[in-house]
Order: sequence, then C-alpha cells, then structure tokens
Amino acid sequence: MILEAKDLNYYYQDGEQRRYILKDTSISFEKGKFYTILGQSGSGKTTLLSLLSALDSPHSGEVLFNGDDIKKIGYEKYRRNNVGIIFQSYNLIPTFTAVENVLVPMSITENEIPEDTKTVAYNLLDYIGIVKNKADRLVNRLSGGEQQRVAIARALATNVELILADEPTGNLDEEMEQEIIEIFKKLAHEHGKCVIVVTHSNEIALQSDQAFRLRKGVLTSYE
Amino acid sequence: MNFIKRGFLGITRKKGKSLILLAVIFILGNLISGAISIQQATGNVESTIKERLGTAATIDIDYDEWDAMSESELESLEMEEISVDLIKQIGELSYVKYYDYSMSTWLGSESVESYHDEESDVDYIVEGPSTDFRLKGINYAPVIDFEEGKAELADGRVFTDDEIEKGTSVAIISQKLADENNLNVGDTFTLANDVYTYDEETGEDDIVNSRDVVLEIIGLFEPSEAKKETDENSDSGMMILTDDMDYHNTVYVPNEIVIDETQFNWEEYLKADEELAEMMEGEDESFEYYEPIYYLNNPEDIEAFTEEVKPLLPELYSVISASDQYDNIAGPIESMSKLAKYVLIVAVIATVLITGLVVLLFLRDRKRELGIYLSLGEKRSRVVGQILIEVMVVAVIGITLSLFSGNLLAQQVSDTMMKADDNQDEYFEEYYYEGINTDLTAEDVMDSYEVTLNSSYVLGFYGVGLVTILISTIIPLIYIVRLNPKKILM
Repeated sequence: MILEAKDLNYYYQDGEQRRYILKDTSISFEKGKFYTILGQSGSGKTTLLSLLSALDSPHSGEVLFNGDDIKKIGYEKYRRNNVGIIFQSYNLIPTFTAVENVLVPMSITENEIPEDTKTVAYNLLDYIGIVKNKADRLVNRLSGGEQQRVAIARALATNVELILADEPTGNLDEEMEQEIIEIFKKLAHEHGKCVIVVTHSNEIALQSDQAFRLRKGVLTSYE
Repeated sequence: MNFIKRGFLGITRKKGKSLILLAVIFILGNLISGAISIQQATGNVESTIKERLGTAATIDIDYDEWDAMSESELESLEMEEISVDLIKQIGELSYVKYYDYSMSTWLGSESVESYHDEESDVDYIVEGPSTDFRLKGINYAPVIDFEEGKAELADGRVFTDDEIEKGTSVAIISQKLADENNLNVGDTFTLANDVYTYDEETGEDDIVNSRDVVLEIIGLFEPSEAKKETDENSDSGMMILTDDMDYHNTVYVPNEIVIDETQFNWEEYLKADEELAEMMEGEDESFEYYEPIYYLNNPEDIEAFTEEVKPLLPELYSVISASDQYDNIAGPIESMSKLAKYVLIVAVIATVLITGLVVLLFLRDRKRELGIYLSLGEKRSRVVGQILIEVMVVAVIGITLSLFSGNLLAQQVSDTMMKADDNQDEYFEEYYYEGINTDLTAEDVMDSYEVTLNSSYVLGFYGVGLVTILISTIIPLIYIVRLNPKKILM
C-alpha cells in the first residue's frame, strides 16, 4: 500500500451548520496501478485529490504515505519528494521553456537526481512525446496537449512513485485525451508508478485498473 | 534551476516589468542620493570649518545678555571676577587638552628697538609714551601658542615648570626682534616699566617712576607658515600688518613677572594720583585679570564642555568658543541641511510605499507562478528569496545609476541655492579673543561646501537605498507567505 486515506472529513462551516464535502472517506492505493476517481462537479473529487496531494489538510482523519502520516512527514516535504501533481489547467510557468519547467522541481526535490539534470529533462520530455526543438520553446507557444505532456514530465521529474492528476484531459480533445491516458497506463504498468486520476469521464474510468465513484462526499467502488 | 537562477530569469524574461521597477527605483533613488549628497556636504562643511576654527574656548561676559538687561538691573548688578581657582577647576575637565590663563602688559625700552616691517609702506604714528613690547604671561610652560602651531620655536627652549612657578626672569622673543637687536639665546635685554600720569593742564603724560625689567632670552620663536599664509590671504591688510608686528614684538615671560610689573605700575600710579587712591581706598585692589584659554581634545567636545562649564560660572559669564562663529555664519548651509533632511525622509517614505506597491502589483500578476512553486514543495523562504533577488538586483542597478546622477543633481541644486543665498547681504558679528580664530567669513563656509562622490557617500547611499528597498518588499513578502497553492491552482 503506497497511499491510504483513513476517515477523512472535510467540510465548510455555513453558519452553525457544517456542509460536508468528504465524510468519513477511506481509500487505499497500490503501486503499479492506474486508478480513477469519478464524480460530477461538486462531488468532492478535487478536494479529495488536494488532501491526497497535501495541498490542503483534512478536518479529521489521516493520509498515510507508505504507512507514514503525511502530516508528520510535512506537507511541503511530501509534495517535494513523494508526489507529482498534474492539474487540469497545466499550471506551467509561462515565461520558462518546456525544459526549464521540468528543471524546476528537480532543483526543489531532495530525491537523488542524476547530475546532468538538463539531459534527464530532455529525455523525459522526449519519452512523453516532446522533441528537443519543442522542449526549448516557451510553454505558451505549445498546444494544450503538448503543455499537458510537459506537466506530466514535470510530475515525473523528481522520480516519485505517486502521480496525482486533477482532470488532466479536461481541456483536451478526444484524440489527445487518449494519448495522455496511454501515458498514464504506461507509467503504472511499465514503470510501477501509482497513478491516481480524478475525472468526470466514464471513458477514462473504464480504462483504469480500479475506479471509484464519489457522490455527495461518499466514496463507492465503480463497476 | 534553483531559486537564484529563477530570480535572474525572472528579471530577464520579464523585461518590461523589470524596466518599470528600475525606472521607479532610479527616480526615487535620485531623490535619496541627492539628499544624502547634500547632507554629507553640509556635514563636511561643519566638521571642516569647526576643525579650522579649532578647539579653543574662553570664558567671558555674555554681552548679549548684558545688553538685554535693563538699567535698574545693571545698577544692582555686582559683577564677580573669574577666579584662578575656577579657571583651574575648568581646566581639569576631561574635555580639556591643555589650558592657560595669563595677563599681559605693555612695556617700552630704550635699549631694544621694536620690530617694524621695512617692506611695508604704511606709516603709523603712535601718540603718547612708547610701549612697543607686549609682555605675555605664561602659566603653561610648553607655551600653548607653540603647541597649537601659531608659532614655532626657532632656537633655544621653552619654559620649565620651575621658572613658571618662581617667576624667573627669562623670556622667549621673536626671531625678527632678536635679529633687529642682534640678540641671541642666552643674551639679556632690558625693558622699562614706566609709570605715567596724565597731566590735564599740559595734556601730556609724565613719567612718575620707572624700573628696569631685565630678561634672559631662553628661546626664539617664528610665527608659523600657516599663520602667515592665512594672514596674507586676508582682506584686512592693515589690521593683519599691525597684528603681525605686534606678534613679533611679543615677549613670552612667566606670568609671575607680568603680575609683578603690573602690581608695581598700579601701586606707583596710585601713589601719584591721590584722588584715585582715595577712591580706591577700601576697595578690593585686585589688579589681576585673567583671560583663560582652553584647548579641547576634539571640536565635537565644545557642546558638552559648554554644558558642563556653564553651571560653574558666575552670573552673566558664558563660554565663548571658536565654533560659536560657525553658528552665526552657517545659516544657508544649515537651512540646506534641514531641507535635505526633510527631502530624505520624504523620499525614503515614498520609496517604501511606491516600490512596495509596484512589487505587490507585479506579484499579484505572478500569483499562479508562485503557487506552482509552492505546489512543487518549494520552501516559502526560497520563494521569498527568489523575489528578493529579482527586486534587489534591479534595485542595485537603479541605485548605482542614481548614485551618480543624484550626486550630479545635488551639485546643481546646491549651486543654485548657494547663489540665491549669496545674493542676500548678510552681516556677521565679529569678535576677538586671544587664541580664537575668528577671521572666517560666509564665503569661507560656501567655499568649503563641496558635493563629492566619496566612499562614505557611496556606502551611505547604498546602505539607505538597499535598506529602503528591503523594507518596501516586506509587504509583498507577507503576501507570499500567506499564499495558499490549492486556492490558486485548483
């Protein structure tokens, strides 16, 4: 078990009333598998991902990474060394080139990275489908699909075992969506990563190794 | 791609914003730089002029206070003399380097010719009995005039403490006076202490008594080059010529000799003038009047010295120091210094506010970028460091540019202000005290005003400039610390 969420509660205080987004939610994930969490807008799937990625903290419950509470590891440190996050809107730094965007987390992480970071970054981008002449372009001169590939390369740059993605194909066309899904499958099955994708797309859920449905803060298995 | 490199990339990739920030810092930097330049220049004037005025101070009646008194107050006033004990007590203060208090008297001579400047074509006639030689009493054996560089010993030696105490008949005369009379160290010469009375009927002075004062020459002095130069540059030629001649005819002797001779003269005078003797009967017959002179360790000590001495002095007396004159003359400089101070304060506040606001606006535009760094697990301190690098690198360039232009601006502004002040007629009170240099004019003050690009200005400006920019980034940095990556990115 690489990642485990136990009895997560997350709510908004509305006057004296608590509006629960997640209620006693528990879930666990293994390495080498591609997971999807399916849900409609407002179902709490992004909140769940933010808790799993330590961008936010639950009101109660805990998230364990390799059995250790991420609160004890330290949220910042956990994000720095243990998890790669991919966002729907890519969230790349527009004034940097694709390769520079990949180099940023390499300078932040405390994980062991080969010395020639630039070559590693180019190789990663190439593996994801971004050739060198595109890697040297400013990211806002790349297409949406290409930008999301750069975001995936950035998530992989620190050599983490856990990849979390929030609607990664939300802004892409169907063809591009399928290409990205193939990359995730490859990362899980060939490289032993644990890939967790939050999506509202049944198509993606059907291609994952295991899918969950989140409705009104309650998580169920999706068959 | 660490935070330092990201900082530098942030500057080069966002050229427009960097240039705007540079322009803001450059413009405000000019104000700060100009104000610091003027402040430094005025500060230098004060220290230069006060240095030039020296550390001398004396005790005398405060004539401003005297003039302010009403007639009835003056009638009921009983003036106290400054006692030798008080002079010594003040002399023992820690600010005092050395001090002296002396009397002077004027004697004539039949055997010694006084010194006259032969090159001078100025004739002057002295009416009444000839008293060409000034006997200047000394209590400080090494002679303060020599210690202070007013003159230097050309031959022989200064007094010993024993000679001062016993009032030994020894003297130090000027080299020129010695040359005029073929005198050398070891020779003796004779002055005459003549007692005159004024005959109202004939309108002439009659000698009623006289005695010889025989003195052994132990040293010869020469007025120093610095003094000569100052005198030559002075406008008041006639005054200086007389001063110069008087100085060459000055005879330094132990103060006891001056007391003896003054006492003899006074007593013999009273014998001759019965009317005055009657008037003086029962009065304190003190004929000792001392003009103390104190030299302090530093010109900056004057204020503290004055404060400490003031309570010790009898009513109406005050400390007169060379630097008093600076306060009279330095009006335009002081007003410029004040103006520069206000400009500096306003410029620093404006820089903090404007730069802070500009940086904050730029950071709001880059909120997403900062959120990305935080989502990648970057430490907030490093994100802060990156922004500081971006701002400080631009600030250093802006400050360096304004270092020169602000200095140039200060020169132009102060030149204009000086000219405006120069056009106003100003009158300064002049006074004369032995040992206190007062031949200083407003022009001297203006001349010593110079806006320069020296190391203390450069360091001062970089210090003030960079600290100001650092303070101005505090608000934006608080903004970064409060950022929540989830709210920004998801």
